[in-house]
Amino acid sequence: MEKITAANVDTYQSELNALIVKIRTEADEKQKKKDLTRIDLLQRKISAFRTGSKVSRSTKRDLVAYSFIAPNFIGFAIFTLIPIVFAFLLAFMTWDGSNPIEWAGLSNFKKLASDTHFIAALKNTIIYCVGTVPLTMIMSLALAIVLNQKVIGRGIFRTLSFFPYVASLVAITSVWKMLFHPSKGPINNILLNVFGVAQDNLPQWFSGGLVMVSMILFSVWKYMGYYMVIYLAGLQGISGELYEAASLDGANTWQKFLYVTWPQLASTTFFVIVMLTINCFKVYDVAIMLAGGGKGELTLNSTVLVYYIYEKAFVEWKLGYSSAIAMVLFALVLIVTIIQFRGQKKYAE
Amino acid sequence: MKKKLVSMLMVAAMMATMVAGCGDSADGGDDSAAADNTTGDAAPAATETAPADDAAGAEAVTLKWAIWDQETTTYWQALADAYMVANPGVTIEMVDLGSADYMTVLATELSGEGSDFDVVTIKDVPGYATLVQKNAILPLDDYIAADGVDLTQYAGTTDQVTVDGKLYELPFRNDFWVLFYNKDIFDAAGVDYPTNDMTWEEYDALAREVTDTTFGSQVYGAHYHTWRSTIGLMGVLDGQHTILDGDYSFMKEYYDMVLAEEADGVCRSYSDLTTEGLHYSAAFTSGDTAMMNMGSWFISTMINNLASGEYDSSLCGNWGIVKYPHAEGVEAGSTLGTITGLAVTAASDTPDEAWDFVKWVSGTEGAQVMADTGNFPAIMTDEVMSTITGLEGFPTDDNSKAALEVSNLYLEVPYAENVSEINSILDTYHAMIMNGECTVDEGIESMNTEIGAILGQ
Repeated sequence: MEKITAANVDTYQSELNALIVKIRTEADEKQKKKDLTRIDLLQRKISAFRTGSKVSRSTKRDLVAYSFIAPNFIGFAIFTLIPIVFAFLLAFMTWDGSNPIEWAGLSNFKKLASDTHFIAALKNTIIYCVGTVPLTMIMSLALAIVLNQKVIGRGIFRTLSFFPYVASLVAITSVWKMLFHPSKGPINNILLNVFGVAQDNLPQWFSGGLVMVSMILFSVWKYMGYYMVIYLAGLQGISGELYEAASLDGANTWQKFLYVTWPQLASTTFFVIVMLTINCFKVYDVAIMLAGGGKGELTLNSTVLVYYIYEKAFVEWKLGYSSAIAMVLFALVLIVTIIQFRGQKKYAE
Repeated sequence: MKKKLVSMLMVAAMMATMVAGCGDSADGGDDSAAADNTTGDAAPAATETAPADDAAGAEAVTLKWAIWDQETTTYWQALADAYMVANPGVTIEMVDLGSADYMTVLATELSGEGSDFDVVTIKDVPGYATLVQKNAILPLDDYIAADGVDLTQYAGTTDQVTVDGKLYELPFRNDFWVLFYNKDIFDAAGVDYPTNDMTWEEYDALAREVTDTTFGSQVYGAHYHTWRSTIGLMGVLDGQHTILDGDYSFMKEYYDMVLAEEADGVCRSYSDLTTEGLHYSAAFTSGDTAMMNMGSWFISTMINNLASGEYDSSLCGNWGIVKYPHAEGVEAGSTLGTITGLAVTAASDTPDEAWDFVKWVSGTEGAQVMADTGNFPAIMTDEVMSTITGLEGFPTDDNSKAALEVSNLYLEVPYAENVSEINSILDTYHAMIMNGECTVDEGIESMNTEIGAILGQ
């Protein structure tokens, strides 16, 4: 910054005065803008000289703004941004958390292709998401629509459907496991005694091919209450006039849903799907609680990506390899979300 | 457009946060870390003065010791108290990391800087392997040589955890597998008790003989907890095989035996057990389990809980133990074992004092403290043996006393570089075989290929 002396303050002042006079009659918009910027700069320089401050007012203003962001941003940077960048870099390295980090290039990713357990985890995670996301969405929307009507005991039903979401996962998985117990559970006993399914053919709900079905059903039941509340808020935001207008046009209930409710809920649905997708890809607790074996181990039929990341990172201490798996998970969620954003944009237009 | 880009970035960041958030490590030692600040400062100060003041020895040293389940395990406090009485000036401070994921939490604690543990307990060999590879614990060979510790008293177990000629832990507790049985059930069925010299075929026949599948008065002849060690490891008792072989066909006959028993109602089914989460102690003490293979740690649990009335003595009070069954042509008394050891951390400011504690706990004095609390120390002397068999509540028959004589002890998991990875693969296929998600042959085939690939690297 040039040195401001008393002498050139005077020249600034006279230039400023001249500009202020000139701008009143300035016709060219571009020139006017230029002049305004010049006026602003001159004013700042003069005031900086008069107040004797080394830091200009605009810098000060910026600093104040940054200081408001700082507490949040520093926390975000230390606990989120740097770890994310580090995790990304780790995917290309070999590290056990103690010994020096070694560059591994793409070898972590190459290894993924032939890892049976990783492929099983990826497959299961995708199946889980494909099953859970639409089912939860449909169920929560249906519940919200029903519980938005004036039915008797509406409050009680709303509370009841929200309850699984609030209840502790450990407690409710225990109850599910009792209900679906392979030999002593009431569900299998009904199948055995009422429907006459042979003892040997009774379904094993928590192992083999059915375990994913159990996990999906459980998750839909547990989480639909939460998304129901979001949909309820969305439904209440729809103006009654739209329905009235639709009725006057002779629309039946289904048409009202199709042409009023559903389009009006588009942004809510978008939010619900994005959140559901992200949460589904993160599934871990449900799998461990429902299908974990003697030491909490998951089989090839029930393993999921996050479990495998944990196993590789904190049991076997292959931090590079587990970061590579995390990157696959990240890419998966990113792609799905980008597609959803695109879809949303198209729909909005 | 710019706004959209920003919001896209925000969503990307949000997702990354969520994904990254899943990897949160459990920070078990929070409270203790805060509490330790004062002592942590005091300890280095004390050692700095120690060389100048040799005659007084290391005074006012605090050793921080990582353990699990302080409330329910009797010997931690007993060992610490006995050591502090013998060595005034040393304070042993215990930090409880919980038992469920002890080695995982410990490895996290010892990763990177800032750990102030001096002595850590080693719960299992995979965890030991991790700490050795992380250089988190010190090799003890120089100390062992200097103090003339006799490794032969550990009955060969230390050889199985020696890494490239170096030993990083000393065992202080040594559990081995025996067969628990409920005498009342055998009496009621009019079947002879199991003996100290049984082959697996004889054991299987006995289990089937004592089984009663009548609805309402069911008796299970055998019980296998959901761990892999209860079944898959029966095969390593011949001394020819270990879980590091890369060929696991030796496990087949044992899986076949147990699955056949499951099908015939001789034992509870694996999928029932994992669904219920039934603990082995509940299975054995409910009075409908005739025999159960389990580690010797369950002896002190039985004695204590029968004395306190937690276990119903009318259901399981009349119990006994015999030696683990064995394969044809193998010496009786061959059994599986696990050692619990102590190690000195590389980060310790006072490794010499820490070593002294390790040496004491795993030596004869520590062994006596262990025996007094009903646990099996790594050093088995006649005195220790008679202390345990003389405990109030220990089965009084001669067979139960003789059952404690071990001829060959094979560690459940010997040391290998990739032992954590091998272990988790074996666990996965154990669960799959037992769940019926694949056949025994398919499971073993997968174990062979996957572990073969790891060993071949």
